[in-house]
Amino acid sequence: MGRYEIRVKGHLDARWVAWFDGMALTHDGDGTTLIHGDVVDQAALHGLLGKVRDVGLPLVSVTQVDPDN
Amino acid sequence: MAGPLLETKLHVPRRRRGLVARPRLIERLSLQAEPALTLVSAPAGFGKTTLVAEWLATVSADGRRVAWLSLDKSDNDPALFWTYLIGALRTAADGVGGPALTLLQSPQPPMEAVLATLLNELSALPDDVVLVLDDYHVIDAREVQDGMAFLLEHLPPQLHLVIAGRADPALPLARMRGRGELVELRAADLRFTPEEAAAYLNGVMGLVLTARDVASLEGRTEGWIAALQLAALSLQGRDDVAAFIADFAGDDRYIVDYLAEEVLQRQPEPVQRFLLQTSVLDRLSGPLCDAVTGQDNGKAMLAALERGNLFLVPLDDRRRWSRYHQLFADVLRAHLLDEQPDHVPDLNRRASAWHERNGQPSEAIRHALAAGDVERAADLVELAIPAFRKRRQEATIRGWLDAIPSDVVRVRPVLAVGFIGVLMTSGEFEGVEDRLRDAERWLEPTGDGADATRAPPAGMVVVDQQEFARLPGAIGMYRAALALVRGDGPATIGHAQRAIHRAAEEDHLTRAGASALSGLARWGGGDLEAAHQAYSVAAEGLRRAGYIADVLGCSITLADIRITQGRLGEALRTYERALRLAADQQGGVLRGTADMYVGISQIARERNDLAAATQHLLRAQELGEHTWLPQNPYRWRVAMARVREAEGDLDGALDLLEEALRVYTGDFSPNVRPIPALRARVLAAQGRVGEASAWAREQGLSAEDDLSYLHEFEHITLARVLLARHGNERAAGAVDEAARLLERLLRAAEAGERTGSVIEILVLQALAHQARGDLPAALASLQRALTLAEPEGYVRIFVGEGAAAASLLRVAAKQGIAPGYVRRLLAAVDRSDGRPVQQGLIEPLSERELDVLRLLGTDLDGPDIARELSVSLNTMRTHTRNIYAKLGVNSRRAAVRRAAELGLSARGRNRQG
Repeated sequence: MGRYEIRVKGHLDARWVAWFDGMALTHDGDGTTLIHGDVVDQAALHGLLGKVRDVGLPLVSVTQVDPDN
Repeated sequence: MAGPLLETKLHVPRRRRGLVARPRLIERLSLQAEPALTLVSAPAGFGKTTLVAEWLATVSADGRRVAWLSLDKSDNDPALFWTYLIGALRTAADGVGGPALTLLQSPQPPMEAVLATLLNELSALPDDVVLVLDDYHVIDAREVQDGMAFLLEHLPPQLHLVIAGRADPALPLARMRGRGELVELRAADLRFTPEEAAAYLNGVMGLVLTARDVASLEGRTEGWIAALQLAALSLQGRDDVAAFIADFAGDDRYIVDYLAEEVLQRQPEPVQRFLLQTSVLDRLSGPLCDAVTGQDNGKAMLAALERGNLFLVPLDDRRRWSRYHQLFADVLRAHLLDEQPDHVPDLNRRASAWHERNGQPSEAIRHALAAGDVERAADLVELAIPAFRKRRQEATIRGWLDAIPSDVVRVRPVLAVGFIGVLMTSGEFEGVEDRLRDAERWLEPTGDGADATRAPPAGMVVVDQQEFARLPGAIGMYRAALALVRGDGPATIGHAQRAIHRAAEEDHLTRAGASALSGLARWGGGDLEAAHQAYSVAAEGLRRAGYIADVLGCSITLADIRITQGRLGEALRTYERALRLAADQQGGVLRGTADMYVGISQIARERNDLAAATQHLLRAQELGEHTWLPQNPYRWRVAMARVREAEGDLDGALDLLEEALRVYTGDFSPNVRPIPALRARVLAAQGRVGEASAWAREQGLSAEDDLSYLHEFEHITLARVLLARHGNERAAGAVDEAARLLERLLRAAEAGERTGSVIEILVLQALAHQARGDLPAALASLQRALTLAEPEGYVRIFVGEGAAAASLLRVAAKQGIAPGYVRRLLAAVDRSDGRPVQQGLIEPLSERELDVLRLLGTDLDGPDIARELSVSLNTMRTHTRNIYAKLGVNSRRAAVRRAAELGLSARGRNRQG
């Protein structure tokens, strides 16, 4: 369906990569983490957001990224 | 009950020792505001479950009863969700929800009917019940959410609902907030205040922290309880407390990562390994943990974890089952996936094997799928399908079907056909034909003929050999069902016959199913005799297969056909035979027994033994809902409505029909007497012709329609509405329209040998002739009806048709038509004590009003009438006004005419004469 960036508060350990189905994790200077990667469809996106919710990560933003950028 | 329930899900969590008292929150939860819904909505680790359990203890002390349900993903199957919800309610209110559970057993249970039945019962509960639904955020199935919204909308005052979860439920919360029906506790309320944090860290956990340390921890965790718990565990027995807190406070890492790492690192290696390996499990028991870890210390390990406060939540009082706190479990799983990804499938496979050995197919399948072992999952599903279908957990099977790749299904004919059954029961027919063809390919003989010893075709996988033997017949049966759905009667019959031919001699079930389908096709086509024959074969097959309750279900159809054929005696014998068969069975009163009494009641009513009709219905009720077939809730109400109608209580009849409509649940049988049509008949009898006509319009019925047996009852009802329109509004042409329709209906019913219908049509025809003033034709029709009806003892059809029919019977008596029978019928009219005579009226006229009415039909003027009756002119006018109101007219002439139609003036004369 496209690339998505999910920003959460706090720096997330790299070990969560497998748990987030291979999404990439990037730490930003403002103390947030960007979870980003390809998402097959809306159901998968909601599954991802459900995982963010279930581990109590404060959600900052969800953005769809233009693949050309 | 739809299968065994996991009791642990209904267990109110035990209050843990050493909790921080939270009076401010307990106070907010108190039910003083009488909210319909209490919502506890906050992310994981905010102490929702603990708080609600803590509060429930005070609720029980108030004399309210409490029920608890911990939800999980599998509860997105509506059948399972409502079964568990009722199961939970039953822990608080013994035996509640029986009829709803019965309804849940029917294919595609109508949720509104299930819930209406349940709500009915709940509104009669003597005590208040608090029902807690924990972890509600796992519910994402639209059907379940809609059901919950319906439940909330109609919640009786005795029931208080508490929903706890990590996300706001899809319920009309804003509206409830506006009406003040909602009490909410959210993250901001739940987080530990500095005082609570201090009480927890220094009191409960026995740490010795300075106010500054506490403030620092509280600030960094923002009062998130799970994080404070992790922090406390990390701090226990540590010397460098201040340094640890300073480091933690100054760190950007996700709190749980930082702290969980600390907590895990501080565990001995065997404990760490145990935690990671068992993190794949939703529920933990000693033996299950042993199976997964390959060790033998599971029980001791779990006990140690609980003592060490390591996020282990007990699920029962006997400490047999427990689970990790969800947040902690997720952290452990993330560690496991990261550190030992190759190990995960193995752990799941072992868990799957353990659950399989212990007879828990759902969990066995879940773990097989989690292991990525679709072959194993397919094996397990193939074996599980028959039992899950029996319990109506089709949605669960659907979930598996979605998870197993189609190429795995394709080489497994038993699994494929099992799925086809599920799809068809859920009303999904698309692609079924292709699936059937795929499955059938495995059955075609490959070489020299179809001998039983030939080797199975290469590549085919069959686990359940018994089901495999049933496939040829089963496939034919599904083909027949598919054709029936398409409305293709001949193809249904053809496939059904092939299915019977191909089914094994001893496969009574398939043969019976196919016979029933062929019977349904013939029934729908109006060939009642052939339908009866096919259904008799089906009933016999079911009896041999030991499905006696289904034999009783067939008996309803068999008797119904006989009633339509005008053979009341045989219908009665069918029910009586079924009752004897049921009585021969061991172990309590059989399901379906109550339905037989409902059937017998209908015949008693037809024969005007209203006392017996009522008795049979009460008997059916007393037998209890476990003796009801799924359709009984509506059938019983319809039968009672018709008894009420016969007793002259038309409003009561309408109320019951409304209820029947709410709890209506169909089956495969054609719905030949729809409830809305029955309602229209009562409305017409009440003179509410506008509403009755509106029904005909909504159904798109007209007197010019092509006729078919399936709509016969509705068309006869339309004729009744037209006759009532004629009576009420003198609607031009209505009676002619009725007469033409009746003539055509008569020909069709005679051609189909539906004598029951013929009798009713003839009676209506007689009334139509009478209304047009053609007495000889009216008598001719009546006489034909009498001749057909007498041997079977029909009464209601003649005496329930109001005054016009009664006066026609009197004429028939004078002319010596069927003298003995007519005398009996007239006696029945007189016995009903005037009620049927005034049946067209909502409120009957008093004796005095009848006297006034009679004089209104003469040439006397007002003062003369008053004198005649020795009353004042004013009193006479009051009577007149009342008469007009009751008759729904506004002139003397209209009153006289209406009275004539209702036979009221005739009655007045009789009294005088």
